[in-house]
Amino acid sequence: MGEAIVITSGKGGVGKTTTTANLGTALALQGKKVCLVDTDIGLRNLDLVLGLDNRIIYDLVDVVEGRCKIHQALVRDKRVDDKLFLLPAAQTTDKNAVTPEQMKSLVEELKREYDYILIDCPAGIEQGYKNAVAGADRAIVVTTPEISAVRDADRIIGLLEQESIEPPKLIINRIRKDLMKNGDALDINEITTHLSIDLLGIVIDSEDVISSSNKGEPIVMDPNSKASLGYRNIARRILGESVPLMSIEDHSKGMFKKLISIFSR
Amino acid sequence: MSKQLVHIKGTKEGLVLRLDDQCAYAELVEELERKVSEGSIDGKVDVQLHLGNRYLSNAQQEELIAIVQSPGNMHVSKVHSDVITIEESNERVLTEQRETYVGIVRSGQIIKADGDIVVIGDVNPNGKVEAGGSIFVLGNLRGIAHAGANGEKESIIVASHFEPTHVLIDNLIEVMSNEKPFVKENSDQIFAYINRDGIISYERLQEVRKIRPLLSTVKGGS
Ligand SMILES: Nc1ncnc2c1ncn2[C@@H]1O[C@H](COP(=O)(O)OP(=O)(O)OP(=O)(O)O)[C@@H](O)[C@H]1O
Ligand SMILES: [Mg+2]
Repeated sequence: MGEAIVITSGKGGVGKTTTTANLGTALALQGKKVCLVDTDIGLRNLDLVLGLDNRIIYDLVDVVEGRCKIHQALVRDKRVDDKLFLLPAAQTTDKNAVTPEQMKSLVEELKREYDYILIDCPAGIEQGYKNAVAGADRAIVVTTPEISAVRDADRIIGLLEQESIEPPKLIINRIRKDLMKNGDALDINEITTHLSIDLLGIVIDSEDVISSSNKGEPIVMDPNSKASLGYRNIARRILGESVPLMSIEDHSKGMFKKLISIFSR
Repeated sequence: MSKQLVHIKGTKEGLVLRLDDQCAYAELVEELERKVSEGSIDGKVDVQLHLGNRYLSNAQQEELIAIVQSPGNMHVSKVHSDVITIEESNERVLTEQRETYVGIVRSGQIIKADGDIVVIGDVNPNGKVEAGGSIFVLGNLRGIAHAGANGEKESIIVASHFEPTHVLIDNLIEVMSNEKPFVKENSDQIFAYINRDGIISYERLQEVRKIRPLLSTVKGGS
């Protein structure tokens, strides 16, 4: 029996979809059977980030309304052989096409076949959020080091704590060392003490993430990017390994400086 | 001779009318009217009504007060009764109760209590604690605190770390801004209360004992 994890944030645009795509791919690369579910009905884009958009035939609403079987709607990611699948959101605009009960039984069914079901939640706290959370066993809250994102994360955590799921875990995305150092962004400590939930991991802000998303190739496929390392570490923590938090030191440092910083520790 | 239904007694504070609590209400009204009309008192006098074990509705109480005050020279200063309804009693129990909330009051959440409340955890920005009595936060108060929400002006707000966005006591509201250096400098040892001028103000914790002596319910300490 697999485990369903919802990836949520409250505030929009903080990186839920990017996180879902990358963690899904990382878990699949580790040999787990993973199904990603896009619940952002009307605004689907998990398929784009994965580069699977042109292979969609059926979607979530088709499954729920019985127009097809689940396996007919799942799109397979050929890059990670038979390990990663996507259930796309419908592009119809009616957000209320799906109910939490329907989501619950859908996720139950997927859990029989997959090790991990990652549910990409839409922004906000309305129907779409309720659907996304309905079938989940666990929750990951994504935030960025901005006050508005942290406030919304706090709100979402409060709502998640009312659900009968495990205490949510936190990912801080788009970390910029320069801003944190001079106090223009909240630092990791401030955020975790404010929200007082466990930190699952951090991901640095990197142009590579944007360009890889545009190419439809999740950044975790690139082993040399530091953002990629962040996602890989998080995936390993989800699998139960204890991986120390990576340092946010600038990865663009020259080799010489790196050596100096090693010796001067 | 029938039993006296209205006993009159003079005290330093004025008259005490002790009303029989066994007879019918109508009889009592009749007797009171008679006693009041035949009394001949010079000048103004304060009167206390003692009802004993009789339960009176508000309307009945007002009727008795009106009778006593009808000649014009007697003023009812107090009505004593040894009984209250279960409903009133329950309300009293609730407001005297101290409730405890363990957890974080997060953005958008409201925690309410009829009496005092102890929050073991933080109150985050946009989170709100509302209490009929006082609020004690064992953690960081960074949201909204409303003490004495039903009119209890003696209520206070205390927090391990006092940095709320809004402070409300009774029907007074304070939006906390950076213009309160005293609060900012003493945020780890401060409480809020309504002062004698009816304004929300802030003092260091050691002043609670002086400003709200009745909060202390434990005697001794030697
Ligand atoms: N670590 C990162 N570094 C740089 N850019 C990032 C990073 N994470 C996400 N982004 C970019 O931020 C934008 C928003 O990301 P994404 O679509 O994943 O957010 P979302 O939370 O799913 O948004 P929505 O609420 O609209 O669903 C995208 O352009 C994405 O490429
Ligand atoms: Mg998204």
